[in-house]
Amino acid sequence: MALDTSIPVLVVDDYKTMIRIIRNLLKQLGFEDVDEAADGTEALGKMKERRYGLVISDWNMEPMTGYELLKQVRSDSSLSKTPFIMVTAESKTENVIAAKKAGVNNYIVKPFNAPTLKSKIEAVFGD
Amino acid sequence: MSDMSSEHVAKIIDFLRNGRKAEDVSLEDVMRLAELMAESFQSFFKSMDLAIYSELGEMAREIANMKEELAMLRLSDMRDEHIPTAGRELDAIVEATEEATNTIMSAAEEIMAADVEDVDAYQALVGEKVIDIFQACSFQDITGQRISKVVTTLNALDKRITTLVEKLKIMRITDVAANETPAEKRARELMLHGPQFKGEGVSQDDIDAFF
Repeated sequence: MALDTSIPVLVVDDYKTMIRIIRNLLKQLGFEDVDEAADGTEALGKMKERRYGLVISDWNMEPMTGYELLKQVRSDSSLSKTPFIMVTAESKTENVIAAKKAGVNNYIVKPFNAPTLKSKIEAVFGD
Repeated sequence: MSDMSSEHVAKIIDFLRNGRKAEDVSLEDVMRLAELMAESFQSFFKSMDLAIYSELGEMAREIANMKEELAMLRLSDMRDEHIPTAGRELDAIVEATEEATNTIMSAAEEIMAADVEDVDAYQALVGEKVIDIFQACSFQDITGQRISKVVTTLNALDKRITTLVEKLKIMRITDVAANETPAEKRARELMLHGPQFKGEGVSQDDIDAFF
């Protein structure tokens, strides 16, 4: 089954350059409908206004981290099914375990490349 | 107590009346008070016990030596000059890397968006943008020099703090202030997060296996 690249994607990162990188990588993979948010709070607001097919979020952000965003999303019945990928420099075992327990669908360690992003998105959608 | 000079007592009273609040009392103040007390009681105890007088004299000399050694550490130079300069260097590094990254990304985006059908125009554009990318990469040389300066400052700071801790014989410093606010606690914990060093943390392969 081919990857559905028409889904709206929300990229959450407090570092504009990283958003630009992910946006370009997604573009290369065929995803054109990409929104962005600078932290968990902004992301949560956008998710309540629009239904996203995928959220790609950083971990370290203020005031709401990606991990807190993930927990909020999973605890909200209207958002809980949204596929969520954590893209972060945090590669401590305890962070990975915590994210997995909180219900993250996949976890990418920075720096990463387009094939890695593609394979993780495919894994999330079961392709 | 007749030998304790009224001049010494007056000095102590003046010092204590100087309107200091608890949070404004510095190490220098404490040492100054100890020095005044030692000077004052010297004359008092002189008449009572020569041994105590000698101990107090030794204490006064120790305090004087420590003041001299603290002055030699030139901590105020670190606070007023070296640390602010290091902060400016780091700001400049962030600015330079951001500028270079934006230049490189803009060049790459222009190449991505270019029309490949027009081969001559495409080649000219790629050539021009590749030069832009090379030029932007020159930031690495300057940021390398700036980072070296910051590392030198940090090493000097580390050396001076270690010396200070040794001189003051501080064996253990309580690491968390009891009145830390939740925001301060969060900021302190966030400082411990961030990218791992090469070889530390788990690899993408380990994470993939876990998932």
